[in-house]
Amino acid sequence: MNDFDYAKPVTLSEAISTYKKYGDKARLLLGGTDLVVMLDDGVIQPDIVIDLKGIDELKKLEFDGEFLHIGSRVTFNELIDSEVVKEKFPVLWEASKTVASTGVRNRATLVGNICSAVPSADSAPALLVCNAAVVIATDSGDKEVPITEFFVGPRRTILKPGEIVKEVKIRASNKKFGGSYIKLGRYDGEDLAQVGVATVVNEDREYAIAFCAVAPKPVRAKEAEEFLKGKDLTDEVLEEAAKLAVKAISPISDIRASKEYRLYVSGVLVKRSLKTSLARMNGNGPKYGERLV
Amino acid sequence: MKKEINFTLNGNPVKIEVMPNEKLLDVLRDRLGVKSPKHGCGRGECGACSVLLNGKSIRSCITLAIEVDGQEITTLEGLEKNGMTELQKSFLQHNSFQCGFCAPGMTITATELLNKNPHPDEEEVREAIAGNLCRCTGYQNIIDAILDVSKKE
Amino acid sequence: MERELKYVGKRAVRIDGLEKITGAAKYTDDLDFGPSMLYVAVLESPYAHAIIKNIDTTEAEKMPGVRAVLSGKDFPEKFGLYLKDNSIFPADRVRYIGQQVAAVVAETPAQAEAAVKKIKVDYEPLPVLQNPLDAIKPDAPLIHPDLGKYEVVPWLYPQPGTNIAHVRKIRKGDVDKAFKEAEYVLEDWYHVPHVVHAPIETHISVALYSYDGRLTLWNSTQSPHTQRNIIAHSLKIPHKNVRVIASYVGGGFGGKAGISMEVIAAVAAMKVPGHPVKLRWTRKQEFQNSSQRQELYAHIKMGVNKEGKIIALKHELFWDVGASAEYGSNVVNATGFSATGPYYIPNVYIDSFAIYTNRPPCGAYRGFGYSEFHFGLESHIDRMAKIIGMDPVEFRRKNAIQRGQPVAYGVEMNPTGILECIDKVAEKIEWGKENKSPDPTKVRAKGFAAVWKAPAMPPNESSAAFLKFSEDGSINLLVSGMELGQGFLTAMAKIAAEELSLPLEKIRVELPDTDRNPYEWQTVASHVTWSCGNAVRRAAIDARNQILDTVSRAYHIDKANLYLEDGKVKCYTDPEFELPFEKFVIDGIEMPDGTYRGGPIMGHGMFMPEFTSAKVNPETGLGGHPNVHYTTGAGAVEIEIDKETGRIRVLKMAEAFDAGKAINPDLVEGQIVGGFVQGLGTALWEEVKFDENGRILNPNFTDYKIPTALDVPRDMNPIIVEVAQPDGPFGARGIAEHTMIPVMPAVANAVENALGIRIKDVPITPEKILNALREKGQENGN
Ligand SMILES: Cc1cc2nc3c(=O)[nH]c(=O)nc-3n(C[C@H](O)[C@H](O)[C@H](O)COP(=O)(O)OP(=O)(O)OC[C@H]3O[C@@H](n4cnc5c(N)ncnc54)[C@H](O)[C@@H]3O)c2cc1C
Ligand code: FES
Ligand code: FES
Repeated sequence: MNDFDYAKPVTLSEAISTYKKYGDKARLLLGGTDLVVMLDDGVIQPDIVIDLKGIDELKKLEFDGEFLHIGSRVTFNELIDSEVVKEKFPVLWEASKTVASTGVRNRATLVGNICSAVPSADSAPALLVCNAAVVIATDSGDKEVPITEFFVGPRRTILKPGEIVKEVKIRASNKKFGGSYIKLGRYDGEDLAQVGVATVVNEDREYAIAFCAVAPKPVRAKEAEEFLKGKDLTDEVLEEAAKLAVKAISPISDIRASKEYRLYVSGVLVKRSLKTSLARMNGNGPKYGERLV
Repeated sequence: MKKEINFTLNGNPVKIEVMPNEKLLDVLRDRLGVKSPKHGCGRGECGACSVLLNGKSIRSCITLAIEVDGQEITTLEGLEKNGMTELQKSFLQHNSFQCGFCAPGMTITATELLNKNPHPDEEEVREAIAGNLCRCTGYQNIIDAILDVSKKE
Repeated sequence: MERELKYVGKRAVRIDGLEKITGAAKYTDDLDFGPSMLYVAVLESPYAHAIIKNIDTTEAEKMPGVRAVLSGKDFPEKFGLYLKDNSIFPADRVRYIGQQVAAVVAETPAQAEAAVKKIKVDYEPLPVLQNPLDAIKPDAPLIHPDLGKYEVVPWLYPQPGTNIAHVRKIRKGDVDKAFKEAEYVLEDWYHVPHVVHAPIETHISVALYSYDGRLTLWNSTQSPHTQRNIIAHSLKIPHKNVRVIASYVGGGFGGKAGISMEVIAAVAAMKVPGHPVKLRWTRKQEFQNSSQRQELYAHIKMGVNKEGKIIALKHELFWDVGASAEYGSNVVNATGFSATGPYYIPNVYIDSFAIYTNRPPCGAYRGFGYSEFHFGLESHIDRMAKIIGMDPVEFRRKNAIQRGQPVAYGVEMNPTGILECIDKVAEKIEWGKENKSPDPTKVRAKGFAAVWKAPAMPPNESSAAFLKFSEDGSINLLVSGMELGQGFLTAMAKIAAEELSLPLEKIRVELPDTDRNPYEWQTVASHVTWSCGNAVRRAAIDARNQILDTVSRAYHIDKANLYLEDGKVKCYTDPEFELPFEKFVIDGIEMPDGTYRGGPIMGHGMFMPEFTSAKVNPETGLGGHPNVHYTTGAGAVEIEIDKETGRIRVLKMAEAFDAGKAINPDLVEGQIVGGFVQGLGTALWEEVKFDENGRILNPNFTDYKIPTALDVPRDMNPIIVEVAQPDGPFGARGIAEHTMIPVMPAVANAVENALGIRIKDVPITPEKILNALREKGQENGN
């Protein structure tokens, strides 16, 4: 680890001004489960690390009747322990449970997860199917960006030095729905996703499908969603939807899986996820959090 | 640049100067003499370095020491201040560990679990300790010991 | 008369339990050495194969905090356990990525790291060999051009001018003739990749060299005396001046057998007398710069007659031992003698080649090569059973070797409970009973394997024990076997307790210090319970004789009428007579005239298997007695496969091993469960992956997956079988390594039983399953 300075601002504006001052020589710190590993590897060598854990307003985890606000300090275990998340945002809840293991989740935050923007970020598909928005604090005020626009590429987001993600916002659905997140890892223990698929189905036969780990950034499968709109999930429809869905992805071969396997299994898992989501909407699916692979 | 931090370690106040790039694990072991947290991977992958931060298990190898300023840290040394815990006694009776290197981290994680959920079922126990790698035991005797405690209370 | 055992074979809390559970157990990195400690960092080769043209350390020497810089110029010595082909720092060429080329000793780890980066090395890259089947070709570039000049034990045969460090041959009967006579012949290739031990504690060594020439090392090691010997020998220090102190070991599995990075700490310490120096491997170094398990390409041809008897086996083993064969050559040797598996086969042809490549050196790994060759062999057995239409369990029973039948090198098989193991495992796994998955996308099936393994040891390996009484009748038992978690200390205490009829609480047995404790070859080969156990038993008997002698002389009672019970001497003919140990074991017994009889009681014992010999005909492998005995066993799994994703879960396992006599039954069960899970890792997930330059792609637990609590069967059934080993302490023989051997083939066999596909290459990944299913579909015209 290189030598760096450490700041722990207590207000967001203080954090922004320090961040502005140092520009790309500064790094933001939440749980550190990505950042400290990168520091240790020497792949980043900042002049200063700005710890956001002193800022109280970022601790917010609140449902205001319409939106769920997930402050950037909220950890995955806090999401898992939240009744409102479990009840109203079950896909995010299910996805949170697949992240690492409890000792990591006690520190790892959802915001850190999307800001790291690794293609396998487990929270991303859930956020994509829920149409989440990212609230970014800047020195000229807050701005809100749909999650679909937030990711730019592997480990790249739209954020610029001086910009700090304040919270992630998700609107609660007022329709009857079911959803699921399936993470395929090499095994059941702590692992990064080979493929991650989230889907949501609602009573109006509207569908949402998103993937992680199979494209340079987490993606929605819009064409498949359009195709499915208004349709019942017959076997033929599922087959066709899976075919269209995998058109949205462009997996690579890496140490975790080959491109071919990822392509094939993405199709399998889309179908499985859609069926599960439908069954859950109808009240006869497996419980949220139950293993689906 | 060194900074002074103050935190509670196993119930006692600690004041120490650290560099921002020092890891909590190294400060605990090499500077404060608290040796139960172990170095297994240094990258958050094995759980051997687990300690409790305000009652929650964290990996001290991917935590900067400076981050715990004002917080409360508990290691295995702190858990057994009033003698061995029920969990430790159960580990002993079950011959739960072999080489024992994973034992401190495992105990921290299992303690957190039992504090939060005193009566976990087997799958909950497995979920909870899944981030603590043990290369020796195949986990069975560790899990049995935890389940035994959960049945007692 | 059969005595009733009080300690041996009884459940007990392990004697190292309390220390480990409280976090008080000291591992090497937990020891404090004070502020004069210095730290070592090593420079690693970026090339898998290159000539070192020049090393320039001048800049590094000027860096802050630097006390010494070391490289191959300073230490040209070769070292190694069986074949001295390894160097502390290579002076002329590097042979794998990560090989240590130079080292820096500095005041802090960060200073040492910073200085290492300033060492300049000029390399001239050479062609890289990564596949043993390429490296064995006649025109392959040589990795050790000086192979003919290395010192080697007499029973290994390096082939100068090739990349073959050793070849072990067996020629028994006439395989060609037998294949012609066979009703069924099956021939195929199998592959097992490199895996690593992955102990949670990485290698670590602290060394201190004093001005009077004394070198002390605190190591995480399986081999304190062997390390002392190798260091003394290669660095030309008198043995009396080298001292290895062993702390608890955070997992060994063979990886901490012999010697590796500890020599670097030793030579670094010699540069800075008076300062302890510490070297601890990072997790990445643990992958690339401690030993790995050999990769194996195995070719098997098997012939079976009408009655279902295996009459011929040709087994060719091509082992990638990496860049050094100093230890791995013996893995190759040992498996060459034993590659028939636990079967009686009249005609046998085995070639086992140790082949150099530009991959990290390989060495001992739990199972010592037996896991690797059993994968192919036990896969082959199942396939053969299918071909001849016999149940695979029945086929194994029919061919299982029995006491008195000759093994491949001609010696008679020892007493064995293999049939009992097979039967008990079959019963526990409910062999033959179908179990359907409630989920239509999943199929369930079972797979079986039978195994054996002998300790692989030089014929003159030995163990020694010393025990001394104190005034209160307690004893200190000194041995140099290592507690690796297997329960060694508890077993030794029980053996002494049994022979001396002394409660366990009265016995202290600790980790060794080579200055204090008597000789032990190494804690490897699953032999210490047997070998050191025999030494302890003899030491206890020695002490008992001294006790009886003293009491007999003092009280004029015939020795034959005296016996020991619960820390007292008693008499068969006089029930009133009772003399507690504490009354005399130091101070002796006072006679009526005020004189004393006796004096301090101290027993010693040693054991060397004097019946073994490595002297065999190199062309046939016959004529000697290379192994002491075999431990046999069997294992089975029930798996569930998701046909859509290819994912496998193991639902249930049963494994039985013939321990002869389980000294610590609960710890034996712990070994079976733990070894099974380690085997499961290699069956399903573990593989060290390399890029085209020979660089490891997954030197971490993020991408090298070892099983977690979620990945193991929920239903595990360890079974102990006891057919006594005549020369074992209370009949015991080793079982600890064996427990991982059945797993790879059992899982592969279960996969075939589930889906009709044969995977011949571990780990059995979902991807391989789906590919095989697709190929099968194409064959069937779907
Ligand atoms: C052992 C292990 C297992 C893991 N397993 C998984 C897994 O299964 N699935 C998974 O998805 N991830 C996994 N991860 C990765 C990691 O835990 C997650 O990505 C985590 O959510 C990151 O959150 P954090 O709070 O620790 O972020 P940090 O490490 O603190 O920060 C992450 C990045 O975001 C930047 N950042 C932090 N805060 C802000 C902000 N407010 N605005 C803008 N940028 C910011 C940081 O500078 C840094 O670049 C694993 C990590 C480890 C060590
Ligand atoms: S040492 Fe911290 S998780 Fe491995
Ligand atoms: S007991 Fe050895 S790692 Fe768990």
